Amino acid sequence: MTPLDILVAAVNGTPAPRIPVFCSLLDQGARELGMSAREYFANGEHVAAGQLKLRARYGYDNVWSLFYVGKEAELLGCNEILFADDGPPNVADFVIKSYDDIAKLEVPDDITAHPAWQETARCLKILRDEVGSAHPICAYLTASTTLPSILMGMDKWMELLLTGPADVRDELLRKCSDFYRKEVAAYRAAGANVLIYSTPFGSTSFVGMKRFQSLVMPWMQRDLAPGGVDGVVYYCGMAPFNNVIAQVMDELHINVHYISPLAELAEAKAIIGNRGLTCGVIDDIKMIHWTPEQTRAEVKRLCDIGKVGQHFLLGTGVMPLGVPEANIRAMLDAAFEFGSYP
Amino acid sequence: MLERIVKAYNEAVFETDKEAAFEVVEAALAGGLTAEDVVFKVVIPAVEEMMSNITKDPDANLAQHFMTAQIAAEVTEKMLLKFQQPPEIIGKVVMGTAHGDLHSLGKRIVMGCLKALMVDVVDLGVNVPAERFVDVAQAENAQVIAISAMMVHTATGENGASKVRRILHERGLEERIKLVVGGAPYRFDDGLYQTVGADAWAADGVNAGRIIVDLIRGIKKS
Repeated sequence: MTPLDILVAAVNGTPAPRIPVFCSLLDQGARELGMSAREYFANGEHVAAGQLKLRARYGYDNVWSLFYVGKEAELLGCNEILFADDGPPNVADFVIKSYDDIAKLEVPDDITAHPAWQETARCLKILRDEVGSAHPICAYLTASTTLPSILMGMDKWMELLLTGPADVRDELLRKCSDFYRKEVAAYRAAGANVLIYSTPFGSTSFVGMKRFQSLVMPWMQRDLAPGGVDGVVYYCGMAPFNNVIAQVMDELHINVHYISPLAELAEAKAIIGNRGLTCGVIDDIKMIHWTPEQTRAEVKRLCDIGKVGQHFLLGTGVMPLGVPEANIRAMLDAAFEFGSYP
Repeated sequence: MLERIVKAYNEAVFETDKEAAFEVVEAALAGGLTAEDVVFKVVIPAVEEMMSNITKDPDANLAQHFMTAQIAAEVTEKMLLKFQQPPEIIGKVVMGTAHGDLHSLGKRIVMGCLKALMVDVVDLGVNVPAERFVDVAQAENAQVIAISAMMVHTATGENGASKVRRILHERGLEERIKLVVGGAPYRFDDGLYQTVGADAWAADGVNAGRIIVDLIRGIKKS
């Protein structure tokens, strides 16, 4: 079976030799190619080459089309990214500096015609041609209720969301939701088949349950309505969300959930059961200073909880550059060992 | 009457309803409470209540932290104008985000709480070089440097808190100035603050206020 077949089997609960094993190595690509982050991320061929080399070197299942999260802001007019060689790039200039800028914010009619999309398209084409028939290709898409945080800054977005004029807030959310709809269609057309729906405000760690139900849920429904949820993974940026999984399954029909390392995996697995896929996630910040033995023990613990009854994937967060190679190897070796089915 | 006011104010803050919180304050003033009473008997206890709720309640959320701080800061600012005499300031903290980090939400929450807790804050903004933290803390006679970092590399990198610790050590300031850190990476690894050489860390912006006040008191006592 190919890794893509293994993923499909895990979702459907059909026989497979092992669980799918995902690993998010993004910034490591620049080191792999021996170049600076700025040089690496400027070119889709570099990013594709980095992804292919890293996947071949470690043997995990997936590749990523994500450059950095600020790419979405670039598609909406951001011109300044702060690059670092020891961590991920950051949005350095907010597109929305005042509420007046919200009225001026333009969602491109055709995202694929935007200059900022071209390198992503180039990367996706290479990934699709090289490994698309056998390996899942991941894309990262930010939900409408979270995207404003990279357009105006998290604190300004919190302020608008919680205390600002509702009409201004809703105008921004509508534009962000329109953007998501176009973006997801573009990624699907370009060959991405695992669509990470990044929705931290879809966790009650960000807003209370009342606001989650009255505000966030309707906007998520709007985001997802036209394109559907095929390939969509519910992900709250590592924030716990076990208490909303049932609602998300019932109301959004998303059945694949990327569980926070801060949440109880057994609880999530019990809620999702055989209706979808539970993705257990290792705490890769702890992996920075864990020993390989500690890493291995944690993978075993996660697999022991998740593997029972299938419908389970093991994954990472956005693996920090500080995680030693020995721990990446220990994690993957353990995942293939403890994630095997007899 | 005070009990009723405190309860109504706490409920408004818990529900992140700023308008309702201000209505409670206005009614309290109209009912005879002084501005000092509002700050010391309503706002500060509410911040303290939220600190304890956050620790106990797994459902406490970021919106509550943010609104607790914003409401507390705004009410305090308004009330200070009405004080009979300036309040006693507990101490001073120099605060900013780590070098390379542009995320300001956590800092804003901490600053809001500290304002209500009568701590002077020197805000250095975002992407602050390590030397600047120490230079300003020295110049301002601050007791605490507080560094917020939302990304792993800015929390653990050599230009962040670790460098501030090194400079404090080189200048012989470690007994006079304490270093506190906060931000998402520390939540995923509660030993990380020691790795970067901080004296303390806070799991959330509201409790950071309490930790900073404790550090200031510790310095002043010694």
